[in-house]
Amino acid sequence: MKFLLFASLCSLLALPSSFAATPQEQLALLAAAGNGVIKLNTETYDLLTSPKRTWSASIQLTALDPRRRCGPCKEFNPAWHAVARAWHNVPAATKNEHFFAMLDFDEGPTVFQKLGIASAPIVFNYPAADGPRKPKNGNLSPVKYDFSEGFDATPLASFLSKYTPIDIPYKDPIDWMRWITISIAALGAALLLRFISPIVQNKWSWAVVTVITSLVMTSGYMFTRIRNVPFNGGNGNWIAAGYQNQFGQEVQVVSFIYGLLSFAFLMLILVVPLQSSPQRQRLQVYLWTGVIMIIYSVLISLFRVKNRGYPFKLFL
Amino acid sequence: MAPKSTPASSETAFNAFNTLWKAYRDGTSDRLKFIDSFLFFLMLSGIVQFAYCILVSNFPYNAFLAGFSSTVGQFVLAASLRSQVNPDNKDEFKDVSPERAFADFALGSIVLHFFVYNFLG
Amino acid sequence: MSTAYPIPSDISPATVKNTASLLRIVALSLISGAAIASRLFAVINFESIIHEFDPWFNYRATRVLAAKGFYEFWNWFDPTAWYPLGRVVGGTVYPGLMVTSGVIYNILHFLNLPVDIRNVCVLLAPGFSALTAWATYMFTKEMKDESAGLLAAAFIGIVPGYISRSVAGSYDNEAIAIFLLMFTFYCWIKALKQGSALFGTIAAVFYFYMVAAWGGYVFITNMIPLHALVLVLMGRFSDRLYVAYSSWYAIGTLASMQVPFVGFQPVSTSEHMGALGVFGLLQIVAFAQLVRTHVSSQQFQKLLFGSVVAIGVLGFFSFIFLTYKGKIAPWTGRFYSLWDTGYAKKYIPIIASVSEHQPTAWPSFFMDLQFLIFLFPAGVVLCFRELRDEHLFVIIYAVMASYFAGVMVRLMLTLTPVVCVASAVALSTLLDTYIDPTEPVADDDTRSEADSTVTSNGSSAPSKKAKKAAAAAVSAPSKGPLSDLVAAATGSAHAGTGNITTGIFGLDSRGVVVLNVVFMLMFFVFHCTWVTSNAYSSPSVVLASTNPDGSQHIIDDFREAYYWLRQNTPQDAVVMSWWDYGYQIAGMADRPTLVDNNTWNNTHIATVGKAMSSSEEVAYPILRKHDVDYVLVIFGGLIGYSGDDINKFLWMVRIAQGVWPEEIQEPNYFTSQGEYRIDDRASQTMKDSLMYKMSYYRFNELFGGNPGTDRVRQQQVPKEGPTLDYLDEAFTSENWIVSLFPSLSYLAPHHFFRSTSDASNCICSRNSDSDFVSMSLLVLPRW
Repeated sequence: MKFLLFASLCSLLALPSSFAATPQEQLALLAAAGNGVIKLNTETYDLLTSPKRTWSASIQLTALDPRRRCGPCKEFNPAWHAVARAWHNVPAATKNEHFFAMLDFDEGPTVFQKLGIASAPIVFNYPAADGPRKPKNGNLSPVKYDFSEGFDATPLASFLSKYTPIDIPYKDPIDWMRWITISIAALGAALLLRFISPIVQNKWSWAVVTVITSLVMTSGYMFTRIRNVPFNGGNGNWIAAGYQNQFGQEVQVVSFIYGLLSFAFLMLILVVPLQSSPQRQRLQVYLWTGVIMIIYSVLISLFRVKNRGYPFKLFL
Repeated sequence: MAPKSTPASSETAFNAFNTLWKAYRDGTSDRLKFIDSFLFFLMLSGIVQFAYCILVSNFPYNAFLAGFSSTVGQFVLAASLRSQVNPDNKDEFKDVSPERAFADFALGSIVLHFFVYNFLG
Repeated sequence: MSTAYPIPSDISPATVKNTASLLRIVALSLISGAAIASRLFAVINFESIIHEFDPWFNYRATRVLAAKGFYEFWNWFDPTAWYPLGRVVGGTVYPGLMVTSGVIYNILHFLNLPVDIRNVCVLLAPGFSALTAWATYMFTKEMKDESAGLLAAAFIGIVPGYISRSVAGSYDNEAIAIFLLMFTFYCWIKALKQGSALFGTIAAVFYFYMVAAWGGYVFITNMIPLHALVLVLMGRFSDRLYVAYSSWYAIGTLASMQVPFVGFQPVSTSEHMGALGVFGLLQIVAFAQLVRTHVSSQQFQKLLFGSVVAIGVLGFFSFIFLTYKGKIAPWTGRFYSLWDTGYAKKYIPIIASVSEHQPTAWPSFFMDLQFLIFLFPAGVVLCFRELRDEHLFVIIYAVMASYFAGVMVRLMLTLTPVVCVASAVALSTLLDTYIDPTEPVADDDTRSEADSTVTSNGSSAPSKKAKKAAAAAVSAPSKGPLSDLVAAATGSAHAGTGNITTGIFGLDSRGVVVLNVVFMLMFFVFHCTWVTSNAYSSPSVVLASTNPDGSQHIIDDFREAYYWLRQNTPQDAVVMSWWDYGYQIAGMADRPTLVDNNTWNNTHIATVGKAMSSSEEVAYPILRKHDVDYVLVIFGGLIGYSGDDINKFLWMVRIAQGVWPEEIQEPNYFTSQGEYRIDDRASQTMKDSLMYKMSYYRFNELFGGNPGTDRVRQQQVPKEGPTLDYLDEAFTSENWIVSLFPSLSYLAPHHFFRSTSDASNCICSRNSDSDFVSMSLLVLPRW
């Protein structure tokens, strides 16, 4: 049904003279049909961004077809629809001053070519080109949204609100599931505490937590978190080039190496002296010393990959 | 403590305080009582200053802070002295003899009041 | 008792003791010597010069202090900074550093040693590093013993993580702050152990010194209360804790408010509230304890417990209420960005833009700490084994500091001491175990079994059985390493049988381990020497590159340009540059600047950012309004200096966008593919920007009119170079690193720096961020 309406509207657009509806009204109809978002194709794109527009528009350029394999597009799409729906709820008079639209690559590749776009998703905000809402500084070129704050709806809404007649009444939906999970988890933890209190009061469980925390932190975990670096570079390449860069997998490898070396030292300090058999003790001494030397060499050679100028190396 | 005590428990609380007071009066040496009276005076002085700050004015703020910190600082230093010379705590303070405790107290007070004087402005 | 190697038995214990303490003194003085000497690479390789950016301001302020005295310095208003606003220096600096060198200078002159103030400033950091080594020795001594202390001192003396901030010429707050940090912690531990108000007072005084010296004092302000809180939570409250904490807090807080820059913060901001809360908690707990000694009635105990909890909850809610009402300022931005790591980038780009505030990748950790980084968890585990009160301190410190160091490169500095201490504990325990000459007594069972294994390899089957039997009998030692570890850790061990059963058998086992350790220590020394001389000793005012024949080539464009300014422009000529260079211009060229490294006024910085990123027509009125006479640009494209303004340009755009989102938009500076380019495909906004035009102005002429290649970005400059209508080129330094452009009457220096490709990684990481490319977020769909 929806599709039929959409198709008929498209055909209506193809015959601009047959109805008296202004382009703005047509667009309003389209928007209503798409639950606040106009699904564009090449023709409607031209209509929406016509140089005589008295309205402003926000357009998401995306590639949702699975064949395009655009993960971020899928990730971003719900946020776009959420903001558009929020805009759809404002009073009708202001609602039609600004339109939300989206253009899939497969619907209008020519538009992408015309705009010279090779990546997606992209959000353009077209200011009104005519009429009372024309920007005072006369700058009509579309404004691009900066995804540096992620794909969430809130920053998008606050960004677009700068260009809409009134602020977009977008509110984060209350994440009931999350709150319920948190409260259940808290309850569970409180109950669990009764049973695991021997573990909590044991210093060795704290020791394990402490050591793992410092191992992970000194392997650059926060770097990967803050910079959002990928887990690895693909094609089995897991070492990021450059001294001040790293992949997520390096955190695991390096913290494992550090942990192993620490463990070897602890064995030498704590366990080996307890052996009551000289032979076994000797074996262990040589074993752990060997482990230290070899793993240390591996670590050095790994470091040499990161810092090309490093002049030292061990056995490897 | 008062707000959540029902009549019955306020009775027991009163009794408890009575026992506490008695135990204190009987079980504390005169030397400690002397320090305690100093502590009590400092507490009153601190309360008066704080009330003045809240009710009247906190201007000049640095003078208020200096005065208040001097009472608080002196209070904790005296309380430290008290616990160091308390014979019950002998095991805790193996390295601190009562004489040394008093010397520490004097030095701490001098340093404290040097900063207080500087801060009065 | 048998020993593994002969030890002389005819020495009296007194002789041993005296020799040991003599050796300790000798070792400590040698360590101090090594610590100072390894920081002198900078002076030997270059010259006795103040480094980098902030030190130039500190140096200038110290000169004022030395020349005009303390009161003049205290009231110094600097009209040339933040033109036209000016800056009240006395109230906006941590004066500890300047006062320290001023005092040293005056003492030396009193002794008739006419030392130049510059040399005092240059050599202050190495001098204090020797003191840091000593403070670390004292601190570690409290954790384990003297031998661990010596190892820790040696580590901190030469470890690159600390050298990076304290080479000769790096005249910055951190130079003295780490010594103060360690010494305050030492006093705190000592106060806690003895329950001494004296050490509490000393800790407070050094805390005051620290507050006067470095903004990082907040670390102490939170570490000590955290330690106290954990002790209370673990049920380890004692009167010693009360004495130590109360005397430290009461005196230290009052003292810290004497520093004008800190002011009333200790009683009004959230960072300091934790300390106050713990102080209150301790008072309550101590009072409750006292009451408990007098009354033992069950009911009363309950009442007491209830009231303590009620007061605690009440205090917490009143804190939240006061924060909400605005009486207590919430966390400050820099501090907040440590917890919510996305915060800085969103709200305060000026903080995010500094590369010292960038997160740390693992190679930096390894570079700065080398083998200490994996010895340090072992040391932490050993602390857990004993778990005295002071060990808890090291454990908490280890966790907090490793998190902070991961979030910000510059906080590596606070991690370094605890790494040195913990690894020294681990290493010295290892050496204690393996040097100890006492031979343990082998179990008779196992010895005979071992003998049988040696004599007849063929008949190992029955001996294995015997072994199993023995294992079952002894139960602990041979259930595999894990149970051994647990046994060792829990300390239950095998003591009590009378014979010494733990220890190392034979010389070769000892030899292997000790040799291995010695080898690792030597490697560490080589590593530190290499890192120090290659990466951390560059003044970044003077750059060095290596010629093809291996000889060193000094690039001195910065100073060339600054002296040009000094010689050729009127005293009051205002110079506009990006804030990084503000202190250097003030220090070396002695000219007023618009913005400098004291980034307190975001709008003013954004103004400069806007001028740099707008077209000439827009920028010119801004320049006129601020009386700008010269614009200074740093450009490294000719010689490959990657820390130049074009690489910092995106931050200028971002910061300007924060204030004028309508006029400056970051995406406009990228190509439509989202790339940051400077060649033909660069966006028009980029090509029109003042920064771009100034950087590449007449660049092609160097290449005989052909399109030149930018060696930093490896791109070809457009054939048609930019033209300037409003500004003019006044001066460009030899390697084009610095350019000065006067606007009609302005100069723009092209400063070009070059550094060796290897070292540049390390050098440039210290300043404003250069290669921050965040646009990789967008994944290209494949078509």
